[in-house]
Amino acid sequence: MNIKLRAPVSAAIAIGVGVVVLAGYFIPSITNIRFALLRTGLVLAAVALLVGIINLLSVHFKKMGSDNENSGYSLILVIALLLTLVVGIIDMVQSYMLGQPNFQMTNWIFTYIQLPIETSLLAVIAVSLTYAAASILRKRMDLFSITFFFVILLVLLGSFSIPSATLPFLHVIRDWIVRVPALGGARGLLIGIALGTITTGIRILMGTDRPYGD
Amino acid sequence: MSATGFTGIVVIVLFLGLMIFFSIINQEPKQKNIRPIPAYDKINQEINVSVEDGTQLHISLGRGGITGPESAAALAGLSILKQVIEKSSVCDYPPVVSTGNAVISILAQDTIQGTSKAISVADKGKNPSGELVGVTPFSYAAGTLTTIRDKNVSANIHTGWFGSEITWLTTAGERQSTPTIAGTAQLPAQAVIYASASDPLIGEELYAGGAYLGAGKIHLASISAQDIFRWIIIFIILGSVLLKFLGIDTFFEYILAGSM
Repeated sequence: MNIKLRAPVSAAIAIGVGVVVLAGYFIPSITNIRFALLRTGLVLAAVALLVGIINLLSVHFKKMGSDNENSGYSLILVIALLLTLVVGIIDMVQSYMLGQPNFQMTNWIFTYIQLPIETSLLAVIAVSLTYAAASILRKRMDLFSITFFFVILLVLLGSFSIPSATLPFLHVIRDWIVRVPALGGARGLLIGIALGTITTGIRILMGTDRPYGD
Repeated sequence: MSATGFTGIVVIVLFLGLMIFFSIINQEPKQKNIRPIPAYDKINQEINVSVEDGTQLHISLGRGGITGPESAAALAGLSILKQVIEKSSVCDYPPVVSTGNAVISILAQDTIQGTSKAISVADKGKNPSGELVGVTPFSYAAGTLTTIRDKNVSANIHTGWFGSEITWLTTAGERQSTPTIAGTAQLPAQAVIYASASDPLIGEELYAGGAYLGAGKIHLASISAQDIFRWIIIFIILGSVLLKFLGIDTFFEYILAGSM
């Protein structure tokens, strides 16, 4: 009986909240209710993060125990997570005892470990993107892919800023590509995304699309 | 009420009306009436392959949450997840799911459990995980790489909110020689997946998953409603160009400024 009631009740709550939040965008008198619901949503999202981290820990504990070739990565993840958690708790206790915010150790981890790692990974993306652009013609040799490839080439050549290697007309072509066809294409894609977003939202508000279980 | 608010309500009511209208008049909708999207054909094909070969599909739902502009992409990804799980219910190994957002992770697990109950998968140990892999773009991408490199994964479906880091996922799939179907709402990432994914979903194609994976007639009706609106927008753009060309655009601007 409990299972049978769960789906309609959760769907009714989701649809009701969705309708009120949507109406809050258009009807100024219920804006406060919209903000209250959104704030509640943010609090729930924070709790969900805790649940997600516990889930992450349990998944990697299982992977460490099993005969998995990636168990070493899981071990590193668990150690890093617990270490960061302990450091965060120590910082919080220190802040409480000092009576003012003091997150020096946490900031140190972010500044000297996380930030350099993420910056390095960002640099690797440039290599991956170059590889992807170079291999597009191998994957799909059609008119659109050929156009895509040569447009990338033109824009890259037009972006060079080495004085001896700079060709003025390439700058003009690059600017035209960025201002006219690229902007037009981007707007077209955005219109399509907006239409898709509206229909997805309406389907969920109607309850015909329930991506939250049944 | 502002002019923007009024226009918003009109658009939503029109959309709703059109979707209900098309779902009523198309009592027996046929999927062949919609244009083919190779990426969705590939998903159907890969589901069959995973059933026959006893392999797994990997579905990554991106980093989008439900309280921001990325929510529609994330929910569209969840909708695709639901359809794929329903269709792959007879697989030896159900799809493995990875997410980069805690809320979507919980919703994914709920979808998995709800759908698995509906398809009577008795062994809960076989259900896909829906785990939260990482909460920053790069930790998510790095964490997902290990799943893509799993030898039992036969295809990767990336649908949701991704940034340029998706190039790691698509390139890793290519190195494993596994098909990669990818769609996102972010424009720079769309350019990336066009170049790097074997089957990209461009623009609104991401949101059409339900219609192409057999989710029901309301999904097909929403495609028809989108088409109507697309034509309306085309006429508005062309009309605006014509009015600008004829120099009458300022006349309408005065009218709008006066009435709203």
